[in-house]
Amino acid sequence: MNCASLTPMPEAAAFRRPPSQVMRLARMGSAHPTRLSFLRNLLRRVTREGWTFDRPVWEIDDKGVGRAVYRAAGPDRTYCLVAFAHDLPDEMRSDRVIATAWDATFTLFDGEPTTADLDRLQANVPLQEAGRISPRELSLSRANRSVRLFAHVIERLAEGLQPDVAEVEAVGYLMRTTAVYGSGKFGAADRAAIADRPELSAPFQAEMLSVWLTRQFTVDIAEHLAAVRGGAKAVRLDPAIRQGLGVGNSTGLGMAPFLVRHPVLLNNWMMAREEAIARVRSQDTADPQTVAGFRAALVEARENAELWHSTHPIQIEKLDALRHDLSRLANRIADWPETGANRPWDALWHWGESELSLEGQEALLALMLEPHGDLVDGLADCMTADERASFRLDGAMKVAALSASLAEHYDWALATDFDRPENSARFWYVSEEKLEPRLGNRFEEDGATLEQPLCIARLARELHSALADWPDDAPLAAFLLARPEHRFMARRAQIVRGHPYAEVHDNLISETMLPIDLMRCKLAFFGASRFDPRSDKWVRISLFQGLPYPSDVTPGGWT
Amino acid sequence: MTTAHHQDLEPNDPTRSGSPVPSGNSARLSQNEIEQLCLKAARGAGMSWGLAEEAGYAAAWLAMRGLDGPGVLLAQLRDAMDRDWHEICPVVAPGRFQAADGGCLCPIALGSALCDHAGLPETAMDETALRIGPVSHPVLLLPFLANLASVQGGCVQLDWPRGTVLLTAEGGVSSAAGMLATETRLDAELSVHGAAPDDSMQPGAPLFVPSATLSGLNAFALRTTVPASEASRAGAGAAVGDND
Repeated sequence: MNCASLTPMPEAAAFRRPPSQVMRLARMGSAHPTRLSFLRNLLRRVTREGWTFDRPVWEIDDKGVGRAVYRAAGPDRTYCLVAFAHDLPDEMRSDRVIATAWDATFTLFDGEPTTADLDRLQANVPLQEAGRISPRELSLSRANRSVRLFAHVIERLAEGLQPDVAEVEAVGYLMRTTAVYGSGKFGAADRAAIADRPELSAPFQAEMLSVWLTRQFTVDIAEHLAAVRGGAKAVRLDPAIRQGLGVGNSTGLGMAPFLVRHPVLLNNWMMAREEAIARVRSQDTADPQTVAGFRAALVEARENAELWHSTHPIQIEKLDALRHDLSRLANRIADWPETGANRPWDALWHWGESELSLEGQEALLALMLEPHGDLVDGLADCMTADERASFRLDGAMKVAALSASLAEHYDWALATDFDRPENSARFWYVSEEKLEPRLGNRFEEDGATLEQPLCIARLARELHSALADWPDDAPLAAFLLARPEHRFMARRAQIVRGHPYAEVHDNLISETMLPIDLMRCKLAFFGASRFDPRSDKWVRISLFQGLPYPSDVTPGGWT
Repeated sequence: MTTAHHQDLEPNDPTRSGSPVPSGNSARLSQNEIEQLCLKAARGAGMSWGLAEEAGYAAAWLAMRGLDGPGVLLAQLRDAMDRDWHEICPVVAPGRFQAADGGCLCPIALGSALCDHAGLPETAMDETALRIGPVSHPVLLLPFLANLASVQGGCVQLDWPRGTVLLTAEGGVSSAAGMLATETRLDAELSVHGAAPDDSMQPGAPLFVPSATLSGLNAFALRTTVPASEASRAGAGAAVGDND
């Protein structure tokens, strides 16, 4: 990726944080959503391009069972979320992959579905992994109700009352998605088939559109059931309360390996974000309008931090630190920027680096980007990746060159002693039983011979060590012919040469590694907020909370 | 090894990484599904992770052009089982990528080696053709030859006693690829040509993969997975129910 070629700003290069600082798990695990996050990018596009939204099909009965279609019409193409609403007994409600039924199931259709399409989808989408979809579909997902809040909202609305705000804030969503599959999964369209469409070329845009339309559905179905129960007495949800509801999401270990498996994509996401903050820091001055935007963003962030709850000890500690940091930041900018100060944003950044926790620093990054849309929003176009282009190895590279490159880019890995149990305590594997990724204890469980290649630090060290036995001027092609077991790592090592943010600079099989750090980083790029770990491998988050609904963009289409 | 005491605490992961289709079914698979399934199957059959990636790539490349990449890869994985690397990897010399005496090359190993050597004298085809083989299931070579064509900056032609296939740098492949797909073992020659093929295999609907192929690939893929233990079940997920 070369973001500089899109909107040249070479002076920002000096302000970029190095990978050695950015690509540490502890910092990645403190990532906050920014205006470059994928759902924000989607909302900017639909606003800018004047997309319209409506609900042409609503065939939901009095029990809340049936189907609905949500239509998103852009300048060139139309997409439709097809939703199936189910009557799910409590005992069948599970967020786990082995679940066989959900409160609602969805697919994003490419175009406008006919009745025959809807019938075909109705026979498959409710089955999720056990069904099949086609290249006309771009995503497959499902959602479960937040039982307590969903019941409370319907009960109150049916009585003509609004729900209790404290109840709403405690949960934050009516339904949570438990998986959103895209990119060719279960027969859906391959990414390659849609990647050249401007509206879908940025990462996860189809998935984000699907979740945003799902958010509309979660409110519509609740209001529908309240109207059924309350009749003429029932009211609709207060718009202010409605805006505070996002779509929840539960995510487990399955998401954690993604960033490791897609090094070029990871690089491009990180590099765009780092270029963005570097551009802000390189500004000579801070104009009053931008400063006002920054202050407003801080006020919002402090409110969000108050509403953000977690019961997990790690996150409780981080939240305390974040609230404290934001309070200090508010004090710090009371008289900021000082008159005549040179590069005030950079000065503020340096203050943050020396004074704030990692949570606070990464929150500061998000806040500093917020009022700088003109400067950074174009970078969202740099966040896609042509992974095929970096797949082919350069076999002509000399052994000495690859070895030197490893020493330069994997210095964080080469010094690790993997004979020490704490440095190889874990192993990543896929379970036969549920076909899901898991993390095992190498010295307590069987299965380490079937380890997934996510132990990048150790693989780098092994490759470096193997190369030492070869003549400096031997081509990599000859080495790989003799040592095919190093092909995987050699490919990565070559990718990193042109993609400096492609690797997590931490040992992913260490005793102290926290998978939720990887998940938080990815979810922040999606735009997720209210990160709430349920363990070190399992997390709930909220999407689109506080942002507009499709029905806010097109108010007329929802009767 | 371990006996954990949390039998009611099951892993709580909502996403699946396994086979796209339950055994016993046939289905039209997306490129992504073919690539991932074939990668796992190749790894399960004993390939290194890096070569398994090449196998997944090759099977999906063929499928995109209407050729049965998954089926041929499955046949290759079965044929190559229990054979040592040195029996199926090429012995490389300028102008020749050949099997050790009496051996037969794995097309994934050969294809990868050809691409790795693309910028090196060993694959120069300036004056004489490059001799390769014997190689099993040679249609699996085509994706690699397309890569070779893009490095060589022209079309690569594969000649064998019963036919000729042309590959372009843009990934085009002439329709004789269908005939090559029926070959299970052959010796061939590679050369560089300026002329593009008159006809080429067109991308079609997602490839239909019969249940026998899916079951075979699934069985290999399953070898990369770890049987459940109490410890793994206990450690992987949330400790709360989902009815909150």
